[in-house]
Amino acid sequence: MRGKWLYGTVGVVAALAAVTGLIVASTATARPTAAKASCGTVTLNEQAWTGSTANTYVAKYVLEKYLGCKVKVTDIAEIPVYQAMAQGKVDAVLEDWQHVAQYKQYATKQKTVVLEGSNGLTGHIGWFIPKYLLQKYPSFATWKGIKGHEKVFASPEAPGGMFLGGDPSYEQKDTQLIQALGLKLKHVTVGAETAEVARFSQLIAQKKPVIFYWWTPEYRNAELNLVEVKLPARMKSCQDDGSTNAPIADYRCAYSSYPLEKVFSKKFVASGSPAVAVLKRFAWPSNSDQNTVSEWIAGQHMDPAKAAEKYVKTHMAVVNKWLGK
Amino acid sequence: MAASTIAATPGIVLEHRPWWRSRSTIVGAIVAVMVICHLTLSRTLSWPDSLVWHSLNHYLDNMQNWLAAESAKTHPNFAYRLIHWISSGLDALVRWLYHLLSKWLTWPGTTLLAGLLAWRFGGRRAGVIMVASFASFAALGLWDDSMQTLALMLVAVAFSLLVGVPLGIVAGRSDRFNALITPVLDAAQIIPAFAYLMPVVIFFSVGPAAAVITTMVYSVPPAVRITALGIRGVPANTVEAALALGSTQRQLLWKVQLPLARRLLLLSVNQTILFALSMVVIAGLINTEGGLGAPVTNGLNSDPALAILAGVAIVVMAIALDRVTEAVAERTDPAKRHLDVEAKKRARLATGAVFGTVAVAAILGHLLSAGSAYTRWTAQDWLRTQVQNALDYVQKPTTFLFKDLTNPVGNFLVAHMLQPLDTFLVQTPWFITLAGLTTIAFVLSGLRPAVTTALMFALIGAIGEWGDAMDTFSQVLVATAIAVVIGVVLGVLAAEIPWVSKAIRPVNDVLQTLPQLVYVIPFVYIFPISYVPGLIASVLYAFPVVVRLVERGVRDVAPETVEAAGAFGATRLQTLVKVKIPLARDAIMLGVNQGIIMVLAVVVIAGLVGSGALGYAVAAGLQRGQFGIGVVASIAILAMGIALDRVTRGNRSAAKGGRS
Repeated sequence: MRGKWLYGTVGVVAALAAVTGLIVASTATARPTAAKASCGTVTLNEQAWTGSTANTYVAKYVLEKYLGCKVKVTDIAEIPVYQAMAQGKVDAVLEDWQHVAQYKQYATKQKTVVLEGSNGLTGHIGWFIPKYLLQKYPSFATWKGIKGHEKVFASPEAPGGMFLGGDPSYEQKDTQLIQALGLKLKHVTVGAETAEVARFSQLIAQKKPVIFYWWTPEYRNAELNLVEVKLPARMKSCQDDGSTNAPIADYRCAYSSYPLEKVFSKKFVASGSPAVAVLKRFAWPSNSDQNTVSEWIAGQHMDPAKAAEKYVKTHMAVVNKWLGK
Repeated sequence: MAASTIAATPGIVLEHRPWWRSRSTIVGAIVAVMVICHLTLSRTLSWPDSLVWHSLNHYLDNMQNWLAAESAKTHPNFAYRLIHWISSGLDALVRWLYHLLSKWLTWPGTTLLAGLLAWRFGGRRAGVIMVASFASFAALGLWDDSMQTLALMLVAVAFSLLVGVPLGIVAGRSDRFNALITPVLDAAQIIPAFAYLMPVVIFFSVGPAAAVITTMVYSVPPAVRITALGIRGVPANTVEAALALGSTQRQLLWKVQLPLARRLLLLSVNQTILFALSMVVIAGLINTEGGLGAPVTNGLNSDPALAILAGVAIVVMAIALDRVTEAVAERTDPAKRHLDVEAKKRARLATGAVFGTVAVAAILGHLLSAGSAYTRWTAQDWLRTQVQNALDYVQKPTTFLFKDLTNPVGNFLVAHMLQPLDTFLVQTPWFITLAGLTTIAFVLSGLRPAVTTALMFALIGAIGEWGDAMDTFSQVLVATAIAVVIGVVLGVLAAEIPWVSKAIRPVNDVLQTLPQLVYVIPFVYIFPISYVPGLIASVLYAFPVVVRLVERGVRDVAPETVEAAGAFGATRLQTLVKVKIPLARDAIMLGVNQGIIMVLAVVVIAGLVGSGALGYAVAAGLQRGQFGIGVVASIAILAMGIALDRVTRGNRSAAKGGRS
């Protein structure tokens, strides 16, 4: 029995020694940083597309370098992040693509999140084709020119012509729009954005015909050499969300263009952190600025933090504007 | 076509009927009638709109908004406060564990702690496995993410077992409780996590607690099921003998049932670990603390090679945890363990030494400021380049692989299997399909499963998902058929040939834990037809479970029976085909049954790589904040799952009844 106690004590003493050592060591290292920070911790959410990575890391670099904030990056999915902002667990999302239902629920009704205006980019959804296809069929510049030639887009699952649908996260009305335009294309849901990219880039690599749901800004567009197909002009009753069950004629129009929104947590706005003002002013001068940073990250596999540093160092005028200088 | 494949699998008919009365012939005849109806009747008779409950979506959306508004109130009611305590407790626990693994112990301390603990309780091999796994996190350059995930998973697995094993024990001892809990377990395994992420976030907020809860929904069911199976597997005469000798219920449980169910309890630990680790990516969608899910989700877009490396880290963690727990259980098996006083003393000394060494390492780590995460030299860049090169090769449309192999095969599969079946199920008038499926269920399993099938498919129609559901149903049938064929063949081989068994186990582990999105995207490049990548994902996820169950079933056939067959001069092949496989019928049917559940569990992933239909709707529900749409599609998936499950399970009890 005594032996048991002995070994137990050895273990406990060793563990205690370890813990004491750790506490001493950790407090010793923790003190100086605590004194320096005036801005505290800011939590930014990175969404699952490269443009959002660019926003988040550029903002992170600016806040950390010029305001001494500590920036934590989370990777919460697009809709749950609203609940996270409502509870103050996430401070800001720097690029939101028109989640109207969430604006209503969290910004208007609950008043737990605040819409802070554009991040400088204009989002636009449309039907895209590769340029080589347009050169072969110049009439494909508008939807009217496609009518009667749908078979050009034949695929194993759609012998009469395939339209590649978009990621389930994005607003779509292509099934309705195809019907309203009287086109004989079959809407094929190819899945998540990555899967759609895989599918059309494989066809583009083979110089085959393809027509698909896509958008700007997106860093790949320049490299893939895409052109947009002209759709009927927008009218007053124009609808963009296919799940609303509006009359089919209301879908017979192009998608709208809208500013990409910054969304902050109410708690963050009220916190008085100097980061709030800077993030309120945060806006890209143009779509191509973000595309450049995105291309560094996803095209050249640059570390996002390094890409952010590179952008900031070469665009001090932009950054000074954000900083209010 | 696929319906008859399912029927053909249990075709090891024990009672001999003339061929024209055999089940497969009858099912074939029903399918033929359905095909004739399909070809002759009008093609646009989908489920009538007047029989659809359209406002369900709205009710669900309103409910979610109400829940969200309630949770935002400054003085929430008791239920919310209770949940809040649970969630802050879990948050604190995971964060504390992560701090222990990173800041307090520093990376050398953590590695030593894990390695030495594994060595002390699991033997040298376990220690080596543990250290090797930490070395690979270091080499992959994902140390910090791995520690976040490790902390989260240790908590999730521990709580899954804490909840699952007791429930399993009760379910094993009480038929009534078992009947009550089975549909709940089915629902937990089949309803896609995407459908309940939002409610979880409303109740538990974002963070480690929400991630733990989401993981547990999926990893508790295998713990319950397999534990119950183990308790039930204890021979009835042993239980009777124990009771006759005057055991109390408690003694019966602790001294008889649990020790005899030990092997299956181990399997339940193994499956709980694998199921939990398969949730890393989805749980990462609502976690604030990073972890290996984030590089997968973001990497898919910007850096697929990094996503693959993160997937590898998840697999390594799963295999290491599994092998080490197994080794620990082997070593502590009371049947094999006979320690004298001297050995006990040495063991305690070793334990003390382990903690002492770890303490020294941690202190040294702090003094030398080794840091909480290992970041010094990693092979990440080199590995990323290699993986990217491999991906580039796979994605090039001019290679032999694509041009001459996968593209024609994929086109053939779609043109001759998936597309016709899909057209058949989607376009056949709904009442013909409903009647046909119900009759098939009746022929295969009897009245009750037939009634269930009719009700479930009527429910699918009533919630307005008939078209999408038929589309998904056709893909589920094909995927299950392929998974069952592969699973049964490999399972039988593994039971018969030891090296196959050894070789296939790591393959199974990888396929069960590697996030599907990571490896399925390359399939979109090499099989660029919408259904095929989803089909591959489903088959690859489902067949390992079939293999495991079939292998165990064939191996568990009583040795006396096999010997007897040998004594009568049966060859090995004859013994296998005429004795072992028919006797392992229950296990094989359980394999089919679980295979279906696994296929349904990846319907969403399949939807994200081109299978569309219900899986896509569920994903859209989460990602566009249309809660109702996601839940309704999930109900359709669940209804389909229950129907298929009862049909395959009903067969099992029918076979049992026939034999006795």
